[in-house]
Amino acid sequence: MSDIVSETVPPQKRPFSMPQGLGQLIPAAVFLLLLFNLPILMMLGWSIGPEGDAFKHYAALAKGSVYMKVLGNTMYIAVLTTLACCVLGYPLAYWMWRLSPRGQMIALGLVVLTFWISILVRTYAWIVVLGNDGIVNRTLKYLGLTENSVAFLYNQVGVIIGTTNVLLPFLVLPLFAAMLKLDKRVLQAAESMGASPSTIFFRIFFPLTIPALAAGAILVFILTLGFFITPAILGGGRVPMIANMLDTLVNRMPRWELAAAISTALLVFTLVFYAAYQWVEKKSRIQ
Amino acid sequence: MAAETTFSGPVSRKERAPLSRWLIDVVGVAILLFLCLPIAIVIPMSFSSADTLEFPPPGFSLRWFESFFNDPRWLEAAKNSIIVAFASSTLAVILGSAAAYGLVRATFRGTRVLEANFLMPLIVPQVITALALYIYLAKFGLLGTLPGMIIGHTVLGLPYVVLLMSVAIRSFDVRIEQAALSLGASWQLMFWRVLVPNLIPSMLAAWIFAFIISFDEVIITVFLSGAYDTIPKKMFNELVLRVNPTITAIATLLITFTVITMGLIAWLAKRGGVSMPR
Repeated sequence: MSDIVSETVPPQKRPFSMPQGLGQLIPAAVFLLLLFNLPILMMLGWSIGPEGDAFKHYAALAKGSVYMKVLGNTMYIAVLTTLACCVLGYPLAYWMWRLSPRGQMIALGLVVLTFWISILVRTYAWIVVLGNDGIVNRTLKYLGLTENSVAFLYNQVGVIIGTTNVLLPFLVLPLFAAMLKLDKRVLQAAESMGASPSTIFFRIFFPLTIPALAAGAILVFILTLGFFITPAILGGGRVPMIANMLDTLVNRMPRWELAAAISTALLVFTLVFYAAYQWVEKKSRIQ
Repeated sequence: MAAETTFSGPVSRKERAPLSRWLIDVVGVAILLFLCLPIAIVIPMSFSSADTLEFPPPGFSLRWFESFFNDPRWLEAAKNSIIVAFASSTLAVILGSAAAYGLVRATFRGTRVLEANFLMPLIVPQVITALALYIYLAKFGLLGTLPGMIIGHTVLGLPYVVLLMSVAIRSFDVRIEQAALSLGASWQLMFWRVLVPNLIPSMLAAWIFAFIISFDEVIITVFLSGAYDTIPKKMFNELVLRVNPTITAIATLLITFTVITMGLIAWLAKRGGVSMPR
């Protein structure tokens, strides 16, 4: 973008001493610096203990079995949710890719619509679906598969179902976009040389879409790590995740230093995975 | 966007074994249904006449909509939601559009770093942003105030505005600006007569995005709002405690609101060349 400008407006002609674009950037940059970057840095500061014992709060974190259990639980749920999103998201994106343009538009519209509807609304519906007297349980009983209600709510299963439902579009939308960008001629070439449809899929189509799938999976994983609403509602306090623990530590206990230490750990973790996401996403674009 | 593509599936559709094709269709439709199930459930439930969450609803009634519109606490929450969403999305659009313009037209080094920083609030888990702002705003006595909430929501909406407006400004030919300037227009005149009229559809779309982001926001609100209620915060608190069918009516209202605004954005996008962020 800067190339175009420098081509059309030679630098020596610019009358201002301030570089072009800087004036427009300053207000938002200062706003974020003061109200986002600085608060986060200060929070990192909170996590560091008194002099001589800088890692006091981190040590408390590592020793407290409750905290480690919540961290482990969060990881576990994040991994399972990511897997579920991959298993459901890939076939959905593939099916959408095969539809006619009109069908693609309708399916895409529905996915984007769910994406933009309040997470609260989407989570709420699962109480009705998965409750003890909900649709799923009544169907199971009607079919004679179970006599007593199966507990889906207020445990890990409910949280994973709800979180998967909420985060699925984050995987499907970029994956579908990547599939559309795939060069059709590669598939045609394989076909003209006698490859069977399943060979084309497993040897060409699927390998070419793996980077996009991986990028989507990392994105879902990051989002699940910091997820708050769905675990709080569908877990009913029995499936504590990092975000919910932070809420408790700050708003009820208050133990800010410990919360700051946990946040720092979560932040570092998220940024590491985000770097991985960027790397994989770049790769998926090259192909 | 994908909708504009003329691509019509792989070449070998007709020759593919019908069974596997049928299987893919069934699986695809089933997963799409799973995705849409919550909406399909909530809307009919909001018109239910039952006291409990029964599905399918035993009869039709508008009682849950009445209970929403007759409850001053919900209306108060709606008022706060609208104030915060309106103020924060306006602030985000002003700051974010200018920043996007700066990013696209900048001629100096280091814009990459700035751009990455503008997008940071999208990447950092919201609970961390909420916690950091909680500690920070407490120092300035802004905790539990409307300005504090507006600040939090602006931080969150800003990345979306920067993303959307960068795309719109990139597709706006810089030579049109240069033509106006070289013909003797002052920068102010060029800004009001050339830039603003061309970018206003995109800015409106970005404003709507930021508005929806703020209107749906829970975590930052829970941390920063103190005694103030917003619609999502009150919904969240009620959902954690007990199940109140009034929420189905609010959910239906929110879905309607989202569908209308999405249509509006699609319409604006056609006029302004905005593309939907992922």
